[in-house]
Amino acid sequence: MTLPSLFVLAALLVSVVAFVAQRARLGVAVPPALAPPRGSASAGVRYAFTTAFAPWAKDSARNHLASYLAGIVYHLAVFVMFVILLASVLVPVLPRGIARAGGALLAVGALCGLALLVKRTVDPALRSLTVPDDLLANVLVTGTLAAGAAVMVAPTALPVFQLIGGVVLLYAPLGKLRHMLFLFTSRRFWGEFYGRRGVRPAPRPLVGRDG
Amino acid sequence: MAGAASAPRRARWLGVMAEALALARALAVLQEHLDEGTAAYLSACVRCGLCADSCHVFLADRKADSIPAHKAERVARLFRRYRTLLGRMAPWLVGAQTLDEDALHGLATAAFGRCTQCGRCALNCSVGLDPGAIIGFGRTMLSAAGMVPKGILANIDSALASGNTMAISQQDVLETLAWLEEDLRDTVGDPAAALPVDRQSARVLYLLNPREVKFFPLSISAAGMIFHAAREDWTLTSTDFDITNYGFFAADVAAARELAGRLVRRAEELGVEELVVAECGHGYRVLRWEAPEWLGRRLPFRVRSFVEVMADYITAGKLRLDPGKNPQPVTLHDPCNLVRNGGVIEEQRVILRHAVASFVEMTPNREHNYCCGGGGGMLAASEHAAARVEAGRIKAEQIRASGAKVVASPCHNCIDQLMELSRHYRLEVEVKTIGEIVADALIVGHQ
Repeated sequence: MTLPSLFVLAALLVSVVAFVAQRARLGVAVPPALAPPRGSASAGVRYAFTTAFAPWAKDSARNHLASYLAGIVYHLAVFVMFVILLASVLVPVLPRGIARAGGALLAVGALCGLALLVKRTVDPALRSLTVPDDLLANVLVTGTLAAGAAVMVAPTALPVFQLIGGVVLLYAPLGKLRHMLFLFTSRRFWGEFYGRRGVRPAPRPLVGRDG
Repeated sequence: MAGAASAPRRARWLGVMAEALALARALAVLQEHLDEGTAAYLSACVRCGLCADSCHVFLADRKADSIPAHKAERVARLFRRYRTLLGRMAPWLVGAQTLDEDALHGLATAAFGRCTQCGRCALNCSVGLDPGAIIGFGRTMLSAAGMVPKGILANIDSALASGNTMAISQQDVLETLAWLEEDLRDTVGDPAAALPVDRQSARVLYLLNPREVKFFPLSISAAGMIFHAAREDWTLTSTDFDITNYGFFAADVAAARELAGRLVRRAEELGVEELVVAECGHGYRVLRWEAPEWLGRRLPFRVRSFVEVMADYITAGKLRLDPGKNPQPVTLHDPCNLVRNGGVIEEQRVILRHAVASFVEMTPNREHNYCCGGGGGMLAASEHAAARVEAGRIKAEQIRASGAKVVASPCHNCIDQLMELSRHYRLEVEVKTIGEIVADALIVGHQ
C-alpha cells in the first residue's frame, strides 16, 4: 500500500472517531416526546430524507433553483468523490466506464462548487454571512473534486487526489464541513418535529384528528 | 466627602458586577443547557442564505441582518467559540465570537426585535434545520442574562403574581361572566342558557385569553352561543384561566412551566375530560405541545383548540349555520403557532366554508402563511413596535390582494396586530375571530 493510501485510511479513522465523539457529546439529550402525536414522527423523518429534497418542496429551493441544483450536484459529486477516494485505496485502477462517468460527475461538481464560491464572494447578502471557513471548506472540497476528475483521465495524479482528499477528511470534523454528519442529525429532528405535529408530510383535509 | 465620592464608584462597580453576572449566566446556558437538537441545527447550517426570502422581516426591510441565517449566526458564533475545537483554537477562521456585552445586545435585537419565531424559515430551510429554534435558544440565553424586553417581563411577573397577564381579579371575571350570561340568554332566547363557571366534572373546560375578558367580551359570548347550540357539557374557570404564556416567548422554561402547570392543575381539580383552548395561537401550542414536555408527564385530559371543536360540531351537524348572515368576502390569516407549529390547518377552513358566503384564501396560505409580524411576544415589546409594523407589510399586502372585507384569525395576538395593520396600511377590513363569525352565522331558536 502506498503512503498516500495509508494517509487516506489514517485520516478516515481520525475523522470517524472525531465525528463519533462529537455526536456523543453534542448536547443535552432530548427526552421522548410526551404530547400525543397528531401525525407520525417517522413519516416526518421519511419525508425529510426523501420528498423534502425535491426542488419544489421548499421556497429556498423553488425561488433559487440554480443555486439549489448546483448545491445538489455539488454534494452528489462529493459523495461519489469520497467513494472513489476510498476505492482508490483498495482498487488501484477503476474500470474505464466507471472512471469516465465518475470523472465527468466530479468535474461538473467542481464547476458547481466554483460557481457557488463565486456567488458567495459576489452576492452582498451572502458575503455578509461568510466567514473564512466557508471559503476554505469550498476551496478544499472543490480542489479535491478537480483532482479526482483529473485522476480519471491522468492516473498519475492519484497521489495528489489522495493527499488532498485525506486533508478534507481530517478537516471535516473541525469546521463547516461538520454538516456532512450533522445534516442527517438535523433532518431527523426536523422531520420528527413536523411529523409529530402533522404538518409534514403535507397534511390531508381531515377534521377532528387528534392523538 | 469620601462617602459622596465613593457612591458613584460603588454604582460603577455594581454595574460591572451585574454585567459580569449576566454574561456568566448566559454562558452557563450555552455550556450546560444546549440540547442535542439545537446543537445539531447549529452544526448543520452552511450559511447558504437561501432562507432569506422565506422570512417576512427580511422581505419587508431587505436588510442582511434580517436573514434568518444571519440572526441564527448570533448564536452560532458563540456556539463555535465555546463548543467547538476550532472555535477555541482559531476563532477568526470559523467566525467564532467571544460572549461580551455587544454580543448580547446584538443577539437581543435579533432575537426579540427581528424574529417572531414563526418557523417559516425552518419549514423552508434547504438543509433541513430550524433557525427559529436556534434563535429561540438565544432567547433562553438572554432570559438568563435578564435581557428580555420589559413588556414581556412585566406580563410574566403579572401572570405569576396575579394568575393572569392583565391582573384581572376573580371578582371582575365573575362579574363580567354574569352580565355576559344575561346577554346570552337574551340573544339565544333561552332563560336556561348559561356561562357555567367552576363547575366540577364538566366534560370540557374552556380557557380564555385575558384580552377577551377585558377588551373582547364578544368572543366569550360567541363561545357561549356555540357551546349552547351544540349542547356541550362545559365550564369556565374563575381562576387560572389565562392561556397566554409570556414565559414561552421569553424562552424562560421555569416561568413557562409554572404558568402552564397552574392551568393543568386547575383542569385536574375540576376533573374535566377535555381542555379547550380559546382562539390563541401560542396558548394552544403551549398547552397542546409544550406543557407535557415541560411538566415531564402526559396530561390526563385531551387538549384541543376551540377551532377543532367548532369544526367537529359542524361536521357532526350540531350547529345550524346560515352563511348568508356573513355576506362580505372573508379571508383567513393562519396563526403560526396554531398552524405551522401546531398542526391545526384545515379545521378553520371547514368552518369558514360553512359560515360565510364567500371565503377567499390568501396567497400563500396554510403552513406556508406569512406571520402577521406580531408573533413571538413582539406586541409586548414596545421598543420594537416600529419594526413590528414594518414587518407586517407583507401580511398587509396579502390581505389587500385577497380583496376581502373581513379577516378571520383564530388568535387574539394576531388580531391585535391585524387591527393595527389595517389602520396603518389603510386596509379598511374588519378583523374577527372564527368563533365570532360562527356565532354571527348561527341559526338560533326557531329562526
